[in-house]
Amino acid sequence: MAETIGYDEMVRMLRGAAEKVTTQHETLSKLDAAIGDGDHGTAMRRAMGCLAKAVADNRSRDLASVLNDVGWAILSAGGGSTGPLFGTFFMGMGEGAADRATLDATALADAFEAALATVRKQTKAEPGDKTIIDALVPAVEGLRAAVDEGLGPAAALARAADAAEQGAAATKDMQARFGKARNLGERTLGTPDPGATSVSLIFRGMADGLSAAESN
Amino acid sequence: MAMKKFMNDPENLVSELLEGYALLHPGKIKVIENNLVVRARPKDEGKVGIVTLGGSGHEPALSGFVGEGMIDISVAGEIFAAPGAPACLEALKRADRGAGVLFVVLNHPGDVLSANLTMQMVEKQGLKNVKQLLTHEDIAGFPRSDPDQRRGLVGCIPVYKLVGAAAEAGKSLDEVYAIGEAYERNMATLAVAVTSATHPATGEAMFELPDDEMEIGMGQHGEAGTGRTQFKTADETAETMLNMLLADLGVESGDQLLVMVNGSGATTLMELFIIFRRVHQVLTEKGIKVACSRVAEDLTVQEMAGFQMHIGRVTDEMVDLWNAPCDTPFMTVR
Repeated sequence: MAETIGYDEMVRMLRGAAEKVTTQHETLSKLDAAIGDGDHGTAMRRAMGCLAKAVADNRSRDLASVLNDVGWAILSAGGGSTGPLFGTFFMGMGEGAADRATLDATALADAFEAALATVRKQTKAEPGDKTIIDALVPAVEGLRAAVDEGLGPAAALARAADAAEQGAAATKDMQARFGKARNLGERTLGTPDPGATSVSLIFRGMADGLSAAESN
Repeated sequence: MAMKKFMNDPENLVSELLEGYALLHPGKIKVIENNLVVRARPKDEGKVGIVTLGGSGHEPALSGFVGEGMIDISVAGEIFAAPGAPACLEALKRADRGAGVLFVVLNHPGDVLSANLTMQMVEKQGLKNVKQLLTHEDIAGFPRSDPDQRRGLVGCIPVYKLVGAAAEAGKSLDEVYAIGEAYERNMATLAVAVTSATHPATGEAMFELPDDEMEIGMGQHGEAGTGRTQFKTADETAETMLNMLLADLGVESGDQLLVMVNGSGATTLMELFIIFRRVHQVLTEKGIKVACSRVAEDLTVQEMAGFQMHIGRVTDEMVDLWNAPCDTPFMTVR
């Protein structure tokens, strides 16, 4: 098992995320149709297309550079709340990885914490508000806890993906208090938040991408 | 029911609609990179620039009001989705003619996220002379004391008109902002929907509404309003909504108002005129002067039937700014 994540591993993580989300975009739009305007899947597919292109265009072999390019590309894709939140996530992660050629498990947790902090600067949403925060916070906390237990990057990232999925599933029983959906009030009960679901897909995709890298 | 919209690949909706729009008004506007809709002839140096952002699918809003005397650059997003911060940053840089830029933002989650991120980049890049004006005048759902929760509706149009005229008159950024803010604090809008619309990118109905009901307070993306009621006549609907607006804004006899009735897409001008007629009658009975008025389809929601009723308390200066010349594809004053 690789103990560190370098440029190639990060690229595989990013591509894994794009692939996972893209295959699920119709599911995301269906969730959004129930509690929003039904375009989340389209926005995420577009954002992930920009992510993949930014990864392909980036030849720096620098972790922070590829993450920053990915973040900027997602921001440029627009997509309502999707662009700013997911774009700043990757830009924050890039800042967290600045000046590092590789990330060990601890540095990976640091980078994800920086990503989370950057997203939280953009939104006042708190856990329980039925937003991406409900998947993002447990994912990043789960990653840190796994690292503290001594797990390597791949195992810790898989744990983060589990936590993100549980967090996203839990939004089903929450009433939206943020975003467009908040206006629907009780009508949002019973449907998981599409944004939180996207977060879980991104983490699962990154974990899958990394473990594929390791098995090669 | 299958979607019946004249369109091609949904991926190209925004680029194709902007292309057609630009071809239609070559003397007034141009569409440049990043879906920025800009004036064909840039504003004179030394005047405050006016920039706004918003999702597409609401035509003619917002880009229909780009031109002399209103907006300098409108940053168009995808269907019902805010454009990205990089495009907004580019727009702010371009619109700065040396006197700063007013950045008008409608209060919707995605728009605000993009705008706030843009403002963070503005600070990082040392662009000092940018002020953001948030419009949030939807009285449905949240009280006036909780403006952050109130959505920005069609009230953005008179805001563009007033700040655009003030900027054209050579006022400073602080003065232009003050006029916009004063009107923003004195405006109120309420929407009603009677039938749903199809989201053109997904082909799905945006919401469901029974045949004999209407929803007062419905947002312009199908966000739920204050409640569904039995469908009523024009006069009853107009009175109910107007009274809610007057109470919210605390309008009194002797005040003068700007009044707009804005069709959502499928409600006919016939109906809008009948609504406006009743609004005007009631205001006149109450001793409230209609100083400025407009009935139009300025901010639509595809083929949604319904309308937005908008009032704003205006000073004599604001009336003059409303009547000042402008030359945009969808509003012209000579």
